[in-house]
Amino acid sequence: MADRPVPIIMEEVTDPEELAKAQAQWERCDRNTAWLQAHASEIYTRYRGKCICIAGEELFVADTPEEVLALAKAAHPEDDGFFLHYIPREKLARIYAN
Amino acid sequence: MQINGEWLLCDDGIIRPVIRGHIRDGHGLWIHAPFLVDTGADRTVFSAPVLAALTLQPSIALERLSGVGGIVSSVVVETQIRFRREAGRGTVVFHGQYAAVTEREALDMSVLGRDSTGLFAVVVDQSGNIVCLLGQQHRYTIEQR
Repeated sequence: MADRPVPIIMEEVTDPEELAKAQAQWERCDRNTAWLQAHASEIYTRYRGKCICIAGEELFVADTPEEVLALAKAAHPEDDGFFLHYIPREKLARIYAN
Repeated sequence: MQINGEWLLCDDGIIRPVIRGHIRDGHGLWIHAPFLVDTGADRTVFSAPVLAALTLQPSIALERLSGVGGIVSSVVVETQIRFRREAGRGTVVFHGQYAAVTEREALDMSVLGRDSTGLFAVVVDQSGNIVCLLGQQHRYTIEQR
């Protein structure tokens, strides 16, 4: 890798088959995201310091991303729209700007 | 081109501007990932859980990442991110080298930085419930009521 980041190149996808597959995956992503948002307060409070994954509109919890993905994929192998997230141990005000 | 995001409730009870995308993993599959729209971030950065899920071969990051908390441990991966365009008008793919933090507490959500958002006009309007990237044929106007 060079010292300076390589510029990002943008490409529009036009292949109908690829677009159809992407659309189906987006719909699964939307369902899992909506499920998490509907249960956010309870989940975020209860599972601090844990990795969570929503797949098939079901919650999975583990200590590491690898473990939680294994649980989610075992239960819902067809769901490629899973929502993986780590809940920080502490509830803090955040300043990002990396 | 218009790429829409949303205001999502985060673990601390704060609503933040997020654009959800897919990142291509080491097997050629697409992994769902939400990105915080951070107009102050120089670079797009993946969170540690996302990095783990991608199973990509990382390179050593020669450019270090720092935030308010100081310098964080990071790597670089070469991959693609795709976003969905407005009203079912397909997808757009960003090819690039992206940084990723390696410690979970360093970043709770991947960040969409100016290396990506700089290709667009960025609208982040909580009162109007709008998060979007605008480019090419799409523009915005400011009106006085």
